[in-house]
Amino acid sequence: MSSFDGLMHGFAIACTMQNLIAAFLGALAGTLVGVLPGLGPLGGIALILPITYSFDPTTGLIAMAGIFYGAMYGGSTTAILINVPGEVASAITCLDGYQLTRKGRAGAALTIVAAGSFVGGTASVLGIMLLSPAVSRAALMFGPPEYFAMLLGGLLIFSRISGGTLAAGLFPMTIGLLLATVGQEAVTGEQRFIFGINELSPGFTLVAVVIGLFAVAEIMHLVATKEDHIAPVSIKLRDLMPTKEEWRRSFWPMGRGTLVGFVMGALPGPPSSMSSFASYRLEQAVSKYRHELGTGAIEGVAGPETANNAAATATLIPLLAMGIPFGAITALMMSSLMIHGITPGPLLMVNYPDLFWGLIASMYIGNVMLVILNVPLVGVWVSLLRVPQYIFLPMIVLLTIIGAYSVNNSMLDVWLLPLIGCVGFILNKLDFRMAPMVIGLVLGPLVEKHLRESLILSGGDISTFWSSSVAVVTWIVVLLVLFLGYLVRPKEVAADD
Amino acid sequence: MKNFTRRQIALGGGALAGGLLLPAHADNYPQRDITFVNPWSAGGSTDAIVRQYSKLMEKVLAGNINVENRTGGSGTIGVGSVVRAKPDGYTIGYAGNSTLVYQPMVMKGLAWSKPEDLQPLVKLNSMPTLLAVRADSPVKDWADFLKDVQAKPNQVRVGVAGLRTSADLEMQQINMAARTKMRIVPFTGGSGESVLALLGGRVEAMAGYTDGLRGHVQANAMRVIAVFQKGRYEPFPDATPVGDQSGFTSATLLPACNYVIGPKGMPKEVLDKLVNGSRQVVTSDEFKAFAQRAGLVLDPMGPNEVRAELQRVVGTYETLIKYLNANKS
Repeated sequence: MSSFDGLMHGFAIACTMQNLIAAFLGALAGTLVGVLPGLGPLGGIALILPITYSFDPTTGLIAMAGIFYGAMYGGSTTAILINVPGEVASAITCLDGYQLTRKGRAGAALTIVAAGSFVGGTASVLGIMLLSPAVSRAALMFGPPEYFAMLLGGLLIFSRISGGTLAAGLFPMTIGLLLATVGQEAVTGEQRFIFGINELSPGFTLVAVVIGLFAVAEIMHLVATKEDHIAPVSIKLRDLMPTKEEWRRSFWPMGRGTLVGFVMGALPGPPSSMSSFASYRLEQAVSKYRHELGTGAIEGVAGPETANNAAATATLIPLLAMGIPFGAITALMMSSLMIHGITPGPLLMVNYPDLFWGLIASMYIGNVMLVILNVPLVGVWVSLLRVPQYIFLPMIVLLTIIGAYSVNNSMLDVWLLPLIGCVGFILNKLDFRMAPMVIGLVLGPLVEKHLRESLILSGGDISTFWSSSVAVVTWIVVLLVLFLGYLVRPKEVAADD
Repeated sequence: MKNFTRRQIALGGGALAGGLLLPAHADNYPQRDITFVNPWSAGGSTDAIVRQYSKLMEKVLAGNINVENRTGGSGTIGVGSVVRAKPDGYTIGYAGNSTLVYQPMVMKGLAWSKPEDLQPLVKLNSMPTLLAVRADSPVKDWADFLKDVQAKPNQVRVGVAGLRTSADLEMQQINMAARTKMRIVPFTGGSGESVLALLGGRVEAMAGYTDGLRGHVQANAMRVIAVFQKGRYEPFPDATPVGDQSGFTSATLLPACNYVIGPKGMPKEVLDKLVNGSRQVVTSDEFKAFAQRAGLVLDPMGPNEVRAELQRVVGTYETLIKYLNANKS
């Protein structure tokens, strides 16, 4: 059946009472799960998995997809309001989102996030519908040497992500890379630097590090400087809504974010959490207002949040088009399909059109539901900010501790918080940037893994890194981005405009 | 998931504290939630089996079972936590033969070193390793493949989902038995990566399991040319059973076998309930239907038979490790 027929058929399925409720509950649960730091969409989906057995597979998938993109939205709420990222992907939103809150524009930021998430998610669903076969073919063109080029390039390109001098980014990135070497090495299974502590074998828990770095360090900073948290916040609707100017400035970042997020989500190699970082970096390179990034520019929120919803939706492509799950979340979805006796594979669209089109239609509906759910909630979230600081800060500390513990039920993660918090506090004082540290932690192990896999595949022959045309093109693009960025820059709006 | 369970237990803390002081009363076991530890990450072949087992076991035991994923160390972290748990029947777990027998031979400081150090409850299934090639590959069947590998030492690449996983060990066994030199490439991101590598032509073959391959075979993107077991394998009847070929004894065949285990020293009544309940689950029609859909080979075994099976594998692994160390690949 043609795409259009399929979609209409899908809407018929998605609009049954059961599936509508599943989409709503999924989006709601996802938002809540995203807001809570620590517990992520993976935990949420694992929780509802047994419940989905009693329903038909389409309903189950709809609920799980709802949790996934709901969490991408929810994670940014705490990132913006209290500098506590709900997910790794929301860490970059802390940069400008929190600054916007301090300027009194929290409501506007949250609304832009809602809109951006909708745009990114919806456009991405369109992409799935129309581009799945093309994306699958493209995915086959990338192997370990190509991903090595891409991710190493990413490391270099992202080192400037928070502005500042080269050292301000590279030094924390190196710390992140070093931290990433702790634990069991992926290819050979060797334990590195665990010093006998078996809990360290999976490495430092990423979420705990991110929370420590952003949230705990910021709390330490607030206490140290005895600053007032945020200017008295009004909850008049006018102040909650973004101004025309803010909408205008968000337009192109949302568009760029959608593209970046879709590509990063659809390709198996780059982790989808990096989509928001990539979008931020892109804004840094091409936006007219890039000099404001880091001090509360709306672009720093619009782009990344659009990107991460686009990416979350696009990660479904390898699963739906090829039956290959990348990442634990899509793997869980595949598991649920298998329990129902459905074998995901390239023929999924053909053999189970109800499932495929029903899911796609439901994602459109789910994105609409997210917006309807969350825009009214913006006022609720913002009013939380009026709580006096001496109550608010301990609450946040409690939240971060529960969040860090909830990931692995491990006290080690809780101890990480003050440790990494101190590191972050010191880095801040010395004017280093923290986002590159997260990037080092995430991309480091992947770069190493692809390097080793490439060499194993080629039997030690180094020329494998430039022998395929895709690899060469990737290197050229990386070099272009790195160097041309210095030579050709789009016109910047003058700082005193 | 873990959050809520913890809170529930905390709320009932007072009552439970008293209850925990008493030995587990078998007549009303289980009195609280049982934790089932899955040492592999959520999603993936193990997850489906684990959840199916728990679902059915909950009914048999009339209790609640919470599946917890405790990953890391090729399964040793999760299995270690089960072996070290209090033997009161409230912590059991899932373990494969490679984690149980192979890992202690190459890792230090694990909570167990021989099969006697833990309590097997039941054998869930075995999954024979399969060898697949791309549909357009010039290799037509196992005989072709063997000739190819013998003629081109160190050139034929076979992808597997991770170093020293059952599929990897199986292919190393074949290298040892047939004196070939296949280049075995571990992809650490799970079978999905090796599938992509095969489809993209980066490896010539891959070793994996039914659930990861079936969809692609149906779509005519891949062909399964061999199955490492004796006798025909229903999901892929055209695959050559290598166990029937000359030169490959049954010692060469290392199917991934999965068991449910518990810590040593559980009280007899609790142990009996778990063993009998598990046996009921794996022989039930529902489980059989699930196994058929997922391509699992059911081979119900009780604790003693499992111990014997694990012991047999010890010798195989010891020989394999000697070979691997000698040929540092």
